[in-house]
Amino acid sequence: MIWKRQIPILIVGVIGFVTLFANFTTLHGFKSFVNDDATQWFDILASFAIWLGGLNLLKLQSQKILKKQEGWEYSVFAVIGLIFALVAGFVIKGEPAVEWGTHVTAKGTLFKWMFTYMVAPMQATMFALLAFYVASASYRAFRIRNFEATLLLVSGIIIMIGRVPLGSNISSWFCMYLLVLIAGVTVNSIFKNKQYTAISVASGLILVTVSGFIMGWPLDQPGIFYLPYLQEWIYKFPNVAGARSIMIGIGLGIFSTSVRYILGIEKSYIGE
Amino acid sequence: MNDREFIVGSIVLTVAFLLYWFMGHPHFVEERILQFSLVIIFSGTLIFFTRKAKRGEEIFLRNIPGLKAVEEAVGRSTEMGKPVLFVPGIQDMDQVETVAGVIVLGHVSKMTARYETPLNVPVSRAIVMKAAREACKESYLIEGHPDMFHDDMVHYVTDEQFAYAAGVNGIMVREKPAACIYMGKFYAESLILAETGNSIGAIQIAGTASQAQIPFFVTACDYTLIGEEFFAASAYLSEKPELIGGVKGQDMIKMGIVIFILFGVILRLMFDAGFLNFNIIQFLSQK
Repeated sequence: MIWKRQIPILIVGVIGFVTLFANFTTLHGFKSFVNDDATQWFDILASFAIWLGGLNLLKLQSQKILKKQEGWEYSVFAVIGLIFALVAGFVIKGEPAVEWGTHVTAKGTLFKWMFTYMVAPMQATMFALLAFYVASASYRAFRIRNFEATLLLVSGIIIMIGRVPLGSNISSWFCMYLLVLIAGVTVNSIFKNKQYTAISVASGLILVTVSGFIMGWPLDQPGIFYLPYLQEWIYKFPNVAGARSIMIGIGLGIFSTSVRYILGIEKSYIGE
Repeated sequence: MNDREFIVGSIVLTVAFLLYWFMGHPHFVEERILQFSLVIIFSGTLIFFTRKAKRGEEIFLRNIPGLKAVEEAVGRSTEMGKPVLFVPGIQDMDQVETVAGVIVLGHVSKMTARYETPLNVPVSRAIVMKAAREACKESYLIEGHPDMFHDDMVHYVTDEQFAYAAGVNGIMVREKPAACIYMGKFYAESLILAETGNSIGAIQIAGTASQAQIPFFVTACDYTLIGEEFFAASAYLSEKPELIGGVKGQDMIKMGIVIFILFGVILRLMFDAGFLNFNIIQFLSQK
C-alpha cells in the first residue's frame, strides 16, 4: 500500500516543492535540476511510453480488422500507416548519403517524403475544416436570442468590418444614419406608434445632417462612430478586461491546484 | 480565526523567515521577495480554509451548472444506452490542465461505473494513457465494478494534433456517444471536436484553461467550465471538505486581488495626479 499511496504523494510533494522554491534561490543545483534534469527525465519516460502507445494502437486496430468490426477498413490504413512510418524511420532511409537521425528532416529521404506528401497535406486538410466549423459556430453564436447574443453580434460585426480595408472607407456619418434608423425601429417596437417613429427618425436625420454640414463631413469624425477606431477600442478595452479577469482566475486555479498537490491535500490522482 | 495551531505555525514560520532575512538571507533571490511573499500568503490562505473545512465548519460554494451537468450527461448516456466520450486534451502530464482533466476523468469514471455505462477515452499521449487508465481502474474498483473495467477503454490514438482530432471525430461519428466531455488543454482542434459533437446531438461539457479556446467551447458546448471553475471541478465532484475548503480559499484570494486592484488603481491615479511619489506599476513590475 505504501508504494501506491504514500510514496507517490511524497514524490509529488518533494518535486513540487523543489520546483517552486528553485525560483527563489540562487543555489545552482536546484535550478539545473528543474530546468535540465527533471525535463530530461520526463523526455526519457515519454520516449519509453510512446512504445506503449504504439503497441496499444496496433493491438486495437488489429483486433478491429480480425473481428471485422464496423469501419475495419479504416483500421487497415491505420496499421499500414504505422508500419510504413516505422520502416521509414528505422529501416529504409531512401538516401544513403544522409546520416541516421538527420534523415527525419533531410531532403530526399523516405521519412521526409512521407511527412511532406502525406502527413502535412492531411493535417492541412483537417486544419482547413476549421473554416467551415468557425462559420457554423459563428452562426449559432450570433443568432439573436437575448441581449447578450445581440451584443455579441454587434461587436462581432464591428470588429470584422473594422479590421478590413472596407471598414476604413465607411464614413462615421453613414454609421450615424444607420444608428438613427435602428433607433427608429426600436422606438416603433416599443411604442408601436407611427407618429413617434416618424418624429424620432426625422429629428435624428436632421440632427446628423446639420452636424455633418457644420463639421464638414470628415470620414473619421466623430471617432466613436468610425469603425476602425471603434473596433480598436472594443479590442483593447472591454475585450482585454474580460480576458485578464479570466487569466487571473486561471492563474489562481493553477496555483491552488499546484499547492493542493504539493501539500498532499489533493490525492485524486492516486484514486483516493 | 480560532485555529490556534495555524496561527502559532504562521507566527513561528514568519519569525524564522525574518531571522533568516536579517541574517543576510544567503542564497535567496532578493528581487523576488514580493513574489515569494505572495506565494506564502496565498498558500497560507488555502491551508487555513482547508483546515477550516476539515474541522467541519460549513462552507458555502456557489453553484456551477457545468459540474451538475456531468452526472446528468452520464445519466443521459445510460438511458440512451450509448457511451460517454471523455477527451483529456492533447498535451502531456507536465501540463497542470491535463492533470486536472485526468482527475475529473477519475470522477466521471466513478459515475460510469455506478451506472454501468460504457466509457471511451481516446488520448494523444502515452503517459496520459497510463495515468488515465490508472484513474479509471481505481474508480471502477472503488465503485465495486472491477470486472467492467478493461484497459482498452483508455486508448492511444496519436501524438499529432489534427490526426488526433480526425481520430476522435471518427469515433464520434461511428459510435455516436450521448455525452462528450472535454477537460484538458486544447488548441485549434477544440472547435473541430466540439462542432462534431454538436452535430451528432451529444450533450457536451467542456473545461479548459486555454483562454483562446474558451469562446469555441462556449459556442459549441452545452456547458463550459471557464478557467478556475475547471480547476475547482475535482473539489466539487469529490465533495471532500478539504478540497472544497481549498476552493473557498481560492475565492477569498480572488476577493483580495479585486480589492488590491482597486487600491492599485487609486494609488496610480494619485501618482499620475502628482499627489503621491510612489509608482505602484514600477514596484510591481520589478523582477
